[in-house]
Formats: sequence, structure tokens, C-alpha cells
Amino acid sequence: MKRSAPPRFILRFLKWFCKPEYHTDIEGDLLEFYERRRADAGRTSANVQLFRDVLFLFRPGIIQSPAIHQPLMNNGMIKSYFIMGWRNLWKGKLYSSLNVLGLTFGMVCFLLIGLYVHDELTFDQQHLDANRIYRVITHERNPNNGASTVAAAGYMLAEESTHAVPEVEMTTRMQRAGRANLVDPENPVNVQETVTIADERFLQMFDFPLIEGDRRTALKEPNSIVITEDLAMRIFNRADVLNKNLQFSHMQTPLKITGILKDHPHNSSFNFTSVMSESTQYNEGWFKEQTENDWSSTSFTVYALLKPDAHAPSVAGKMTKLVYANEELEPGWELSLSLQPLKDVHLRSEGIADGARNSNVESIPQGNPLYIMIFSFVGIFVLLIAGINYTNLTTARASSRIKEIGVRKTIGAVRGNLIRQFLVESLITTAISFVAAVIIVSLLLPPFNDFVNKQFSLFTAASLSFWGIAIALIVAIGILSGGYAALLLSRFNPVALLKGLKIGTTSDFSVRKVLVVFQFTVSTVMIIGTIVLLMQVKFLNNTNLGFDKNLMLVIDVNVGKARSNFEWVKAEMAKVPAVEQVSVTSRVPGEWKTFYSVKAKQEGSAGEHQIAYAIGADKDFLSTYDIPMLDGRNFQSENDSSAILVNETAAKMLGITPIAIGVGDQVVDIPVIARNNFFTPLFDDVNASFNPRVIGIVKDFHFQSLRDRIQPLIIAYNNNPIQPIDYYSVKISPHDIPRTLEKLKSIMVKNDEREPFEYHFLEDQLALFYLEDQRNQTILSWVAFASVFIACLGLFGLATYSAEQRLKEIGMRKVLGASVVSLISLLSKDFVKLVFVACCIAFPIAWWGASRWLEEYAYHIEVTWWVFALAGMMATGIALLTVSYQAIRTALVSPVKILKSE
Amino acid sequence: MKRIQLGEFEEVVLLTVGVLHGNAYGVTIKDEIEQRLGRGVTIGALQITLRRLESKGYLKSKLGESTESRRGRPKLLFEITAYGRKALEYTKGSRDELWNALPKLVLKLK
Repeated sequence: MKRSAPPRFILRFLKWFCKPEYHTDIEGDLLEFYERRRADAGRTSANVQLFRDVLFLFRPGIIQSPAIHQPLMNNGMIKSYFIMGWRNLWKGKLYSSLNVLGLTFGMVCFLLIGLYVHDELTFDQQHLDANRIYRVITHERNPNNGASTVAAAGYMLAEESTHAVPEVEMTTRMQRAGRANLVDPENPVNVQETVTIADERFLQMFDFPLIEGDRRTALKEPNSIVITEDLAMRIFNRADVLNKNLQFSHMQTPLKITGILKDHPHNSSFNFTSVMSESTQYNEGWFKEQTENDWSSTSFTVYALLKPDAHAPSVAGKMTKLVYANEELEPGWELSLSLQPLKDVHLRSEGIADGARNSNVESIPQGNPLYIMIFSFVGIFVLLIAGINYTNLTTARASSRIKEIGVRKTIGAVRGNLIRQFLVESLITTAISFVAAVIIVSLLLPPFNDFVNKQFSLFTAASLSFWGIAIALIVAIGILSGGYAALLLSRFNPVALLKGLKIGTTSDFSVRKVLVVFQFTVSTVMIIGTIVLLMQVKFLNNTNLGFDKNLMLVIDVNVGKARSNFEWVKAEMAKVPAVEQVSVTSRVPGEWKTFYSVKAKQEGSAGEHQIAYAIGADKDFLSTYDIPMLDGRNFQSENDSSAILVNETAAKMLGITPIAIGVGDQVVDIPVIARNNFFTPLFDDVNASFNPRVIGIVKDFHFQSLRDRIQPLIIAYNNNPIQPIDYYSVKISPHDIPRTLEKLKSIMVKNDEREPFEYHFLEDQLALFYLEDQRNQTILSWVAFASVFIACLGLFGLATYSAEQRLKEIGMRKVLGASVVSLISLLSKDFVKLVFVACCIAFPIAWWGASRWLEEYAYHIEVTWWVFALAGMMATGIALLTVSYQAIRTALVSPVKILKSE
Repeated sequence: MKRIQLGEFEEVVLLTVGVLHGNAYGVTIKDEIEQRLGRGVTIGALQITLRRLESKGYLKSKLGESTESRRGRPKLLFEITAYGRKALEYTKGSRDELWNALPKLVLKLK
């Protein structure tokens, strides 16, 4: 009779839960029933009944108790691992502390860098639907001015794409219309703020936490404004200001505060302090006129919330079609839209201009993905170096544990036991280091926060994922660094171990060599990187910019009267004794807001119009900033309002020839102007253009950051159709600056009492260009220091150990007449050789990396050979010092002491 | 003397083991109870009762032979111990006592 077996899983289940002493006979009974039932009622029914029976057997009394399930043996072994691990660590105090120290250092660097990188990578992720929110980017191309990519789109696109494109769930519009004084009508104190305008869906799409107010209705009504807690504190000195009134100085009606927002977290791209409802403008005639057919302008930042699973590129395609379906573009114009995920806004916006803002609003700060990449690598490498230290020291010390391993194996330890033993040891070390590192990091955090201008804290809910990653990585490092030693040491044959008490370590030693080379390669690359960064930052700060930036006070023009009445203000300022020169301009060199650009060509010349930057300046501009003239003359009087100066680059571009300048017959044709990358006609009459005479050429000066090459610049007179004046530049003398400031302020306030007196020192403002570089330089130099230090700790350990191993040999050599110097070189040679090899590998890598980074700057230092020589010498020197300390100590020991015992 | 208290099902199982003298193991006990008393018995309930009775000392067990249909799994044969028999007797005695004390009239009432 062919017998068919019941389903295996049922019996397995029984076996799993059933007390072992009951199991066999119960199973026998069940099988007997099974056979009978199968014969009676068929297989399926028998299976079902068997299953039912087993389920009924699953009850206390038959289920085995968990205590019996775990053999006592395992607990004992685990405990033993810890005891033995602890004892071993304690026995080799020097090596253990070297390990712990190295790992702690590595982890501190890793955690700090990790916090920074994590923060940069989680930008704008606070919003619930963050991964469904996209920013609409407009790519434009026209027949004349090439292409532009702007993070902005038209009004109607936002309005209609919700209906026309099914994947779009919601859209919202935002505008930064300029800067204005925001005042509490009851207690007028001027606070200069960016005017941000958004529609009612803005607060629904983004989860900016509201302290007070209703996010659905806050921006619905006209004349509503939502402000942040910080702004409320600045204006009212308290935060509970719901339903109070505020007023922008340029507007007639007061605005009602309908919501208080929490301040933005540091990792947010949004930096507005107030949002006015878009509906405030709906009744304005001009608004309607501008928006009702606006499909393709770049006046609004548009965000779209897509439905889950929507395919962003195809949605963008549909949006582009929507624009084409509704608006006839001028011939030769092309336009396409793309959607940028919100999470990419901070780090991946290179080449995308921040649109939909007035030119006097600063663009949102961007992160630099290159630095994030460098930092991630550096952080992981430092941790690796520390891990390698551990591996090296443990494998190097293997021979002193040969007896232990041999005896363990003889007694009956299997390989698994030994591996676990070593892993537990390395995990104990890692755990100790981790605790130490966390303590150190929490102590270092306040100064570090100040330094990188962020607000990290170690223990917040938001950083849970960070902790998860960090702990996983650290456990991985523990296992990896202990793992190699564990595998290697547990492999040996016990008989060979106990007989010869040594292991054939040639292959193992070469792995160790490779690891040391790796450590020093990384360290040398970091040293070179730090030197290059240091030199470049120094270069940036010390380069002659072509104008005088010292003690230059720049005062913003924030009220109308400061602009119209500038002659009087200038004259008053010049009377202050500490003031050397005063000039008014529309933009200043080293400007932090947008430069206007124009298209220009020399009248009568063939060819296209070309792009140049343009500023307006008075006749004192050149002397105040000490910019030399190369040819022609400066502005002299109001008659020069249709005259311009050009810089050398612009002269070259426009084909201005120096000889003809005195004659004043070279006229430039300027038809269009761009405030935000987008060229529009300069005058209402499209065919009209500004046609000034060129009266002089000035020497090139760096009016932008040194990242950019000097661009063509047109300097128009202060009274010009391109841009009105916006700043006073006051050159002052160094003594008693506060008093000078006080006097200047009183002049400005006398001119207009609403004056907020906003000023900057140009030098500080220029330093902001390179602030990030400077910061990174400091971080990198610390990390480089740490990595060299850790690598040296490892080398020190290895050297100490190898010296200990060769004590007898050295004793013999000494007895036979070896000199101390020859002994030292004998002991150091091996290690220094490794460092040499490391340098050879590091140089090309560092050269490649440094050149790539320097390419970001139009003006940069050259990477010269001596940087490499210096770094190589530093690495070798430090390694030599580390090793030779041990070597000298060993070489100086009296041979009697070493040899007497044998 | 320790109090002897048998549950109803315990008593049934104990008696059945006695009935099946020499051939009492899981399968036969279940069959016997189901046949004689006409009630269903789950293996779980039966096994747990057997084990409980054994741990209380009313039953003892030994491994028996195996058959083909059990695939080599031995039978666990149960036998009543002296203490078990005492327990049964005590239970019966106490019931009889109650029976005897019952007024005749009550029984006639139908």
C-alpha cells in the first residue's frame, strides 16, 4: 500500500511547540488517526482534521516552556565572551587605549560631519507631502538671447493645470515682490522686510507649522498677512498678535494678521518672514491685466503637488502643451517646463535662476553638492581609517595570542566560538568608543553649531533616522574591523600553533601593509586638500579686486526721499569729518543682490546684441572706489545722463576703440534689459532704445565674486533709464566708527523719518562670498588633522609591537656592535617605505580632486609641486616621528636586560 | 489523606484506561470514549488530561510497540496505578454515599 504523508508543515508545527518528551507518541497517535481517516474520508478531509487536532493541541501543558528551549550552554558562552573580551582588552592596555582613542576620534569626526551632511540632505523634507511637491522650472529660448532657466512660471499655468492635467492635485503661487517697511500702525517702527505674496493654497501644500490661525483660511481674504514668530517678536515684542494690524509702508490699507508661523527650521529653503494673501491684489486693475493671459511669464514661483505615482516628466510635458495651447509665442521663441522635486531645490539648482522675485530680494541660499560629496567621503574615510587601525593592531598582536587560540581549540572551541570571541572584543571596543564619541560630540556641539551656523542637536525626534544610520554604520565598522582579525586568527591549525608557537604571517602582513598604505593615502590626500583650500581662500581674500573695499560703508536706499533728495544727503554726509568720499550708485561692486543686465551693441556695427551688466553711478563713483580710468573722461554733470563708461571687457566686446572716445561719437544701442534673466524692452515703446555715448573706459575690476570671470560692465550716469540709484557708498576714516555711523544715521533720518538705516561694510559683505569656503577649510583641516592623528596612532601601535617582537634580535645586534642609528633605521625603514608608497598614490588623486574643485573659480591658484612636496614631507615626517620614538626607545635598551632571561 | 478530587472528564478517562486494560493509548482511549459514551473527544483535551492524571500519579505509562500506520512512532500505553484505583474508589464511594442519602421520594418524582 502506498502511503501518502500528511503535510509536513503541520507536523513541523507540532514539533516546534510540543514538549519534546510528549512529541513522539502524540505524533504517532495523530498519524494513526490520519491513516484511518484518509482511508475513510480521503486525503483532504484527513488533512483538515489533522490540522484541527494539532490546533487543539496548541495549549498550555503541551507547549514547551521557553526556558527549556534555550540550552544553558549558550548563555554561558556569551557571558564568557564578554568576560574574556574584557580581560583581553584590559591585559593589553596600551593597544586597547590606542584602539579606543583612534575609534573615538574617527567617530567624533564622523558624527559631526554626518550631522552636517544629514542636515543638508534633508532640506525641505519637513512637509508631509514633500516627495510629491515639485517646483515648476521654465526653460526659455529666443532667437536673440539664447537660453535661460528660471524657477518660475506664469499665473494661469498655476491656475489651470489643476483642471487640465489630471495628475496635478494642487498648485500654489508665490512671489517675492520686493522689500518694504513693515510697520505696526499703532507703534510705527520701521522694519525692512521682503514682501512675500502667496495664494490661499500655499499653507495647505506646505506644512509650515502654525502656532495660531487656520491654515485653510489664513491667506484667503484680501489684506491678510501671516507672519513668523520671530517677526512678531521684533515688531510687537510678543507672539500672540493674531488679528492685529500691520502695514507695508507703500500700501494704503492695513493688513490683518491671520496666522503666526513657527520660525523656519534651519534646513528649509524658505526664508520668508511674512506672507501676504494674493487676493489682496485681486481688485487692483493692473493685477488683473497682467495675470489674466499670463501663461508664460516668469513672475510667479509655482509649486505643484502631484498625485501619488504621477510621472513628473510627463506631467511637465502636459504643462508645456497647456502653455502652447493657450498662448501664441512670438516667432522664434521656445519654451518648455520641467518639474524639480522639492528635495532637489537646495542642492541641485545649479544653473536654475531663482525667479519670481524683485531684483532687490536676495535669492534663496543654495547648498553645494560638491562639498556634500567631499564631506561624505571624508567622514566615511576617517571612520575607515579608525577601523583599519583596529584590524591592524589586532592581527599584528595575533602571535601573542597564539597560545590562547591553540589551547581553546584543543579544548574544543570550534571556529565559530573563536570568531564570536574576537567579534565581541571588537564590539566592546567600538561600544566604548561610541559612548566616548557621543559625549565628546555633545560637548563640541555648541561651538560647532556657532561655527557652521546651524542648529544641530543630538537628541531630537527629527534626528532618529540619523541615529539609525550612524549606529548601523558603527556596528558595521565594529564587525568589519574585528571580522578580518577573527577570520584570520581562528583559521590556524591548533597543532601547528602549539608546536611552533608562530604563524606563517607573510600573506597577513601584506594585507596589513596595504591597509597602512590606504590610511596614509587618505591622510595625504586630505593634507593636500587642506593646503590647497587654505591657499585658495587666502588668495580670494587677498586678491586685489581692482577697487578699494576697505572702510567702505554701504547704506541702502529704502525710502523714496533718500533717492530723490540724494544731492542734499550727499552734501550733508560730506560735511561729516570722518567721511572721505560719498557716491551714489544703483549697485555696488561685490553686490549681494541681482545685477541688471542689458543687451548692447555699438551703433552701426554688424552683428548681434550682446549681454553686459549695467549699473548707474554718479561722478564720484570712480574716485570713491579708487577705480582708475584708462581712457576718456569721467562723468561731469547732468548733461552726461546719456553718456556711459564701460569697463575693459565691455570695450572689447562692443568694439570701442580708445582713440575715438574723446570725440564721443561711439554710440551704444541698448534696447532691452533683464532684471531676472528675462529680457524685456527698456521703454514702453518696443522699438525705442537707449542710445548713450561712450565717454570713457575704466580698468576692469571684480564687481562679482572671484568664482566668475570679469564680465562686461556698462556704467551709466546716476540719472539713467536702466536703474535708479539704490545705495550710498561712504568711504570713511577708521577712527571712532560708531560716532560716524550715528552721524550718518541722523542725516538719513533727517531726510526722511521713516528711514530704517540699513547699512553694510563692503568688506564683510565680500567676505560672505567665501564664507562657505572658509568654513569648509576649517572643517577640512580639523578632519585632516584627525585622520593623520588616527593613522599615526595605528602606526605607533604597529611600531611598538614590531619593536617588542624584535627585542631579542635587537639585543643580539647590539651585542654584536650595531650602532643606535643603524638600529633605528632598521626599525623605521619598513614603515616609512609604506608611507612613501602612500604618497605616490595620493598625489595624482589629490591633484585631480584639487583641480576639479578649483575649476569652480574663474580666478584661482595653480596647484604647484611644492604643495605635494610639503604634504609628502608632512606625512613622512609625522610617520617617522611616530615610529622612531619607539625605535629609539628600543634601540637604547641595554642588551643585558633583554638577553639575560634566556 | 490528601484530598482526591477527580473532574468528570478525568474520571471518564481514568475508567476507560481501566476498561482497556493493557491496550490503553491515545487512539484506543479516544475510540472507546466516543463509542461507549457517544461524545466527541479532541486529541488535545485527551492528551492534556492523560498527562495531568499521570503527573498526579493516577496513571503510569510505558512505551509500547509501534505499528506500520504509526511510522515507527511508539505507542504510549497507560495503566492505572494503585493510587489511581484508590481515587476511583473514593470517588465512587462518595457518590454512593450521596445516593444513599438521597430520599427515595425524590427519585420517584419524574
